[in-house]
Amino acid sequence: MKSVSIRIAGANGDGVESSGALLMKVASKSGLHVFGYRGYQSIIRGGHVWYQVRLGDEKLSSHGEKIDILIALNQDSIKNQKSHLNDGAVVIFDPSKVSASEIDGKGFRLVQIPLLDIAIKVSGDPIMRNVAAIGAALRFVGIDFEIFKTVVRDMWLRKGEKVVDNNVNIAMQAYRYQGVSTLFDIKGDDKQRYAMDGNTAFSIGTFAGGCKFYAAYPMTPASGILHWYAAHQNKGALFKQTEDELAAVNMAIGAATAGVRAMCGTSGGGFSLMVEGLGMAGMIETPVVIAESQRTGPSTGLPTKTEQADLLFVMHASQGEFPRIVVAPRSIQECFTVGSEVFNLAERYQCPVIVLLDLYLSERVESVDGLDLDSVTIDRGKLVTENTTGERFKRYEITEDGISPRSIPGTPGLEFIAPSDEHDEYGDLVSDMYSGIDEYVEIRRQMHSKRMRKIETMLKNEKVFTPEIDNPSAEYFFVTFGSTTEPVQEAARVLNESGKSFGVISFSYIMPLDKEKTRRMLENKKLIDVECNYTAQLAQVIMANTGIDIKNRILKFDGEAVTGTELARLAMETVKNFK
Amino acid sequence: MAAINTNAKPNYSSKNKPVWCPGCGDFGVHAGILKAITELGLDRSKVAIVSGIGCSSAMPHVFSTYGVHSLHGRLLPVATGMKLANEELTVIGAGGDGDGYGIGVGHLIHSARRNIDITYIVMNNEIYGLTTGQASPTSFVGAKTKSTPFGSIETPENPLAVAISAGATYVARAFSGEPVHMAEMIKNGIAHKGFSIIDVFSPCVTFNDFNTYEWYRSRVYKLDGTEHDTGNKVKAFEKATETDTNGWSKVPIGLLYRESRPTYSSMDIASKNGPLVKQAMPSKDVVKGILEEYR
Repeated sequence: MKSVSIRIAGANGDGVESSGALLMKVASKSGLHVFGYRGYQSIIRGGHVWYQVRLGDEKLSSHGEKIDILIALNQDSIKNQKSHLNDGAVVIFDPSKVSASEIDGKGFRLVQIPLLDIAIKVSGDPIMRNVAAIGAALRFVGIDFEIFKTVVRDMWLRKGEKVVDNNVNIAMQAYRYQGVSTLFDIKGDDKQRYAMDGNTAFSIGTFAGGCKFYAAYPMTPASGILHWYAAHQNKGALFKQTEDELAAVNMAIGAATAGVRAMCGTSGGGFSLMVEGLGMAGMIETPVVIAESQRTGPSTGLPTKTEQADLLFVMHASQGEFPRIVVAPRSIQECFTVGSEVFNLAERYQCPVIVLLDLYLSERVESVDGLDLDSVTIDRGKLVTENTTGERFKRYEITEDGISPRSIPGTPGLEFIAPSDEHDEYGDLVSDMYSGIDEYVEIRRQMHSKRMRKIETMLKNEKVFTPEIDNPSAEYFFVTFGSTTEPVQEAARVLNESGKSFGVISFSYIMPLDKEKTRRMLENKKLIDVECNYTAQLAQVIMANTGIDIKNRILKFDGEAVTGTELARLAMETVKNFK
Repeated sequence: MAAINTNAKPNYSSKNKPVWCPGCGDFGVHAGILKAITELGLDRSKVAIVSGIGCSSAMPHVFSTYGVHSLHGRLLPVATGMKLANEELTVIGAGGDGDGYGIGVGHLIHSARRNIDITYIVMNNEIYGLTTGQASPTSFVGAKTKSTPFGSIETPENPLAVAISAGATYVARAFSGEPVHMAEMIKNGIAHKGFSIIDVFSPCVTFNDFNTYEWYRSRVYKLDGTEHDTGNKVKAFEKATETDTNGWSKVPIGLLYRESRPTYSSMDIASKNGPLVKQAMPSKDVVKGILEEYR
C-alpha cells in the first residue's frame, strides 16, 4: 500500500479545516482513499491548528505518523511541525509570511510559492491563499487538475461563475509554479466512495435504524451528532437542543416510553449528568440509546483531544444493578452498522444502550466503501398492541427470559405506570407501603431477578458479545477496543510486512461479554493490550471476565491519537521485554 | 381474538389507594385532576400523568391512565419527551415545590419558554414532606424546619413570577381547600394549548404547622369577578408578586395570566407530518439521498 500524509497548519480562522475538507473531496473524487484528522484547541481565533489528510491507494487505518507534505501557513507551523516531518518531506510556504530558516534544508524539499500574492491578485481575498496551497499539493501527489475543477464547480457554482473561476485560476497558478512537480506516485481507482466522520456515520446509522428523537446539549466531541440531527430535522427525526444533559436524557427516556426510538448524546462531562437518568431507564426498562464520545479527562480535561478512559465509567455508572449494553464501534463503517442495530437491541431487551465513541472516531474522516442499507432491519421486540385478555396489563410481567411485554401510550387497554421505584408486575409500587413485608420482599427479589435475567437472554440470543480475531495463527496478538482498533490493525500489517507475526483481537461490544468464548479466544496467547488510557481499562474488564491478566501493555494518555507506525515501534520494544 | 375495549366506561381510578397522610392537601389535588379529566371526557389511554419524587409523586399511581413516576426534579423533561413523541397524548405533570421549584427549577423556565403543550400542577406545601420536614424553596423567611431550626434566612422563590417571566402561557394558582375552583383551574389548564402551570397550595398537615388550611383560607381571595386582566403580563406579575412578602395578608387564587402562542410541536419541523410515534421508519431511498451528501 502507498500513502501520503499532507498536513495543513496555521491558526484558527485561517481556513485550515475547510482546506483539508476541499483536499479530501478532490482526492476522494480521484478514487483515492482518504483519512482526515484535525488537531485543534478550544479557541475560536488564533492558537495552532492543523488538519492532516492522508491519501492512500488502499484503505487507510490512521492519519499517519509523519508528514510527507507540510503546508505551513504561519511561522508557528514551521516551529511546531518540523519534528513531525518525514525524510524527504515537501514544505510548502509563502516566503512573504514564513521563513524556513529553522528547517535544515538537507533532506527536505522547501517549496516557496507566493500564495498570498497569487490569491490577492486574482480574487482580492487573502484567505484564498489556501486554495493556492491545495493546488500545489495536488500536483505533488499527481492528482489530475480536471478533478479539482469539477469539485470546485460542484461546490461553488451556486455562488456564481466568478467564484468558480477564481478558485480554478488561483489553484492552477500554484499547480504550475516553478519547483512544483509530481513526487508521490499514488493512483486511485474509479470508485466513488463516501467520505465522512464517525459522528456522521453514526448519525446516519441511527437514523436508518429508526431513530426519531435526538436530544442533546452541545459538547465536544459529540456535537457533530447534534449538528447532523439538527440539519436533518426535515427528514422525519425530531432534534431537541436541551437546557442541560439532565433534560436531554430524561426527554429521550420520555420519548422512548411514548414509543419512539429515542437517543441522547454527549461527552463524559455531560454523561456524568445523565447517570441518574440512565439508572431510571434501567429500572423502568426503557429502550434508550446514549452516545458518549470521550475526550481527554478528568473534568474538563483536554476538550479537543482524544482518550478512551470512560469505559469503566459507562459500564458501572449509576446506583444499583441493571442490564445495559455497552458498545464501542471500531471504525467509521462500524459507526454506521452499530448505529443501525442498537435500537433493535435496546427494544429487544428493553434496556439502555451506551455507544462509546471518542474524539478520534467522532471527528476523523475516512473513506467508506459502501454502507449496506439492505442489512438494516427493524425489530421492536415484545411490543404488544392490544389487550386480548381483558385483564389489567402487566407491563412488568415476570417472564422466563426476563423480557416483559411493552405497550405504547395511547393504546387502549394496555395502560401502565412506569415507576423509578421498585414495583410489581403492574408497575404498582413496592417501595412506599410494602417494602419489608414478606410478600413484597419476594416481589422485589423476583422483579430484580427478572430484570437481571435479560443479560443471560441477550448472551444466549445475540452473537455480538464476543471479540473478533484477525490472523488467528499469529505469534503475538494486540488486544484493543473501539477507535484504537484500526491503527492497531495497521500496526499489525506493518509488522507482518517486515516478517513479524502479529494478530489483532478487538472488542466492539464490551458489555455484556460472553466470558467463555472470550476466554477461549484469549487463553494461551501472547497478548499486548493497547488502549488510550492510564489504567488499562479493557484489560481490567478482561481480567474480571476471564481471569486472564494481560501484563504487556501499550497505554497512551497524552491526548494524541495513535498511529499504526508508532504502535508498530512500541510493539517491538514490548516484544523485546515481553513479560 | 378481538381486542376488548376496556375504555367503554371511563374509570380513571386505579385500585391503588392514595398513600398521603390523612388530611394532606394532595387528596384534594387528586380529586381535582380526576374531576377535570372526567369533565373533559378524556380517553384514559390518551392521558399520561408524569410525576417526579416526593409526596406528590404518588399521583400517577392512583390513576388508571398511562404514566411515569420519574426522578426528582425531572418530570418536566420526561413529560416533554412524551409530548414531543406523541402530541395526541394529554400530558399532565404532577409535582411538588421541592421537585419543581428546587432541584428541577431550570426545566420550569425552559418548558415555559418552549410553550410545550403540557399541564404542570405543583402541590406547593412550602416544606419537604417525604424527607420529613426540611425547608423548601418556597419556605418563608423565619420558617423553622428541621434544616432551619433557627429560622430560614433565604427569600422564598416566587414560582409564578418565574413562570410568567419565562413565557408560560397559562399561569394559575389554586388552593386545595377550594376543590371546585381548583378543578376548574386544572381543567382550563388542560384545555389550554401550551404550557400551563397551576401552583396549588396543598397544605402539609404533618410537617408544616404554619401554612395550614386555616392560614390559607383566611388569606386567599378569588380573582374571578375582579377586574384583573388575564391578558396583561404586567398586571399578572403584580398579582403573582402580591405573595412576595412573608406577612401575606391577601393571596390571589385563580387565573393570573393567559396568552395564545403557538405550541412547540405546532412549529416543530419533524412533527409537521403528525405525531412522531405514528410516522413510518425512514425509507431506504431517503437514507440513500442523505448519503449522497457525503460523496
